[in-house]
Amino acid sequence: MSENQATGIGEKISSLLFLIGPFVLLWGFFWLVPLIGSFEESLSLSPQLVGKIASEEQFTLMNYGRALNDGKFIKSLENTLIFVTSTVAITLSIGFFLACALFGIPKLLRGFSLFLLLIPSLALPGTLANLFYLFFHGKSGALNQFLIIPLGLEPINWMMNPSWILPCLIFQAVWRWTGLITLLLYCGMRAIPSWQFEVARLEGATSWNRLSTIIYPGIKHLLFFGGIFLFVDGVASFSGAYNLLGGSGGVLDSGLLFVTYAYQVAFPGGAGRFDLPLATAMCILVAVFTVLISWFCIHFHKQKHRQEW
Amino acid sequence: MVRQLITRICLAFMLLLSVYPFLWMILSSFKTNREIYNPSQLLPQFFDPFSYRLLLSGEFIDFYEVLLRSVLLSGGQAILACLVTAAVGFALAKGRFRGKMILTGVSLLVILYPKQAMNLSLFDWMASMEMTGSSYSLLISGVASGLGVLFFTQVFRKIPDELMDLARVEGESLGESFLCFLPLVKPAMITYCILHFFLCWQDHLLPLLILGAEQLTLPLALAKLADSSYRIPEAVGLAAGVMAMFPLLALFAIFFRQIRTALSDWVVS
Repeated sequence: MSENQATGIGEKISSLLFLIGPFVLLWGFFWLVPLIGSFEESLSLSPQLVGKIASEEQFTLMNYGRALNDGKFIKSLENTLIFVTSTVAITLSIGFFLACALFGIPKLLRGFSLFLLLIPSLALPGTLANLFYLFFHGKSGALNQFLIIPLGLEPINWMMNPSWILPCLIFQAVWRWTGLITLLLYCGMRAIPSWQFEVARLEGATSWNRLSTIIYPGIKHLLFFGGIFLFVDGVASFSGAYNLLGGSGGVLDSGLLFVTYAYQVAFPGGAGRFDLPLATAMCILVAVFTVLISWFCIHFHKQKHRQEW
Repeated sequence: MVRQLITRICLAFMLLLSVYPFLWMILSSFKTNREIYNPSQLLPQFFDPFSYRLLLSGEFIDFYEVLLRSVLLSGGQAILACLVTAAVGFALAKGRFRGKMILTGVSLLVILYPKQAMNLSLFDWMASMEMTGSSYSLLISGVASGLGVLFFTQVFRKIPDELMDLARVEGESLGESFLCFLPLVKPAMITYCILHFFLCWQDHLLPLLILGAEQLTLPLALAKLADSSYRIPEAVGLAAGVMAMFPLLALFAIFFRQIRTALSDWVVS
């Protein structure tokens, strides 16, 4: 190897270290090492079982078994699944509709309307929960006053009725994220070349034709991206439910989400048990499941996209 | 015509649903508890800013300190994350080296692994390293963002390869080229900075675990103010909510056009 080549390789390595080094270092220290540590923790003996089992049984997958046999954990997973699927479906549908609707108003008003729609996304989840509790909740709350009573129905006690707690959490999440998804889809629609709409107009295409042959194909990747984002965020949802239900799962645990329960198991206070090994086992189970689902979705989406081309 | 009218009415309803509760929140921050518990009453009887006085007096929380901590924490993390992930994005978009797929996979994994599920592990690890209770450790823990890496990879892919060739002919290394090209992606940098600031600003669980009850950030302070066991007037919590929204609203209002343009460009790429 000549001296010039050696210098070139040295420069390349130092450049890569400069560009990638900080990220890899921080990722390793704050992501990879804690993940390995948490796996080790999930295999360790729970403080609640000290003295109850023989020492040779300590390093087993016992905590994973305990998690899967925990009725409250399963309940929290069911709630989280309903919460996530409903939030993704409703938010994407409303976001798509609003992004289309924005093109039907004068250009001057679009930016302003979009900004107004974004306001709930910009508020802290705690603020949203507090607002939700004070504004929408109760017999005299806005939902009852403006929606339920005018329909001639009995006022609903949203946060005390087990059937309505989860829909409230879903409503709150939809309310929070719709603006951001609308912004994303609107930007996607703006990026569709205008000649496509011009050609459609000349061809006499109907609104449905335009929607199905130009708009949807133009933003379907963004819809997918938005769906994945909402899915991962929904699984990890904590702040809104924590503020709204005061760290509990609500009446009959009907609003108990997975992260809230893991937090309850890990730390004392309220229903807390200070059982970190069990909580980390729960987190790993759910996280691995989430990553696998997302990964498969991305993989199939990519494959389908390739076939189209 | 009828369809357009219906669409506009629906849009107006959604705008009302977005804005009205916040308008109510701003007006309710001047109300008494009794008036607040009657949500159909929009206007307060008197515009007395007693809740703002109480909030800023430090009787319940030191709001200035909380606000400053949140701004520094979110701002510092956003700027660092922007620089660190832009560098990786540039290397992935324009560099030629082995392991690009692995690095992209790692970034994707960081996005897909639910953050809150990671927080318990992170807390455990930081506690064992005696790093809890420090704002600095919280600040650097969120810098390695997978979203940032993927965002900047797409952004730098749009820079023509001819410019890279030119830089190479001029004898510039990959690292030097990155520093040269940074000004070209300023709108994307600002956009990502704001998006990261926004995500960090709203983070609740990790600050709760790492900082504890002594060093509150805004989400923790709001949870404390809303906690009925402290018997704090509701208007004080609402006033804190109003004030907590202003920094983000101002950032988005100032840079909204740039964010929209950068997102449209990113979507195209």
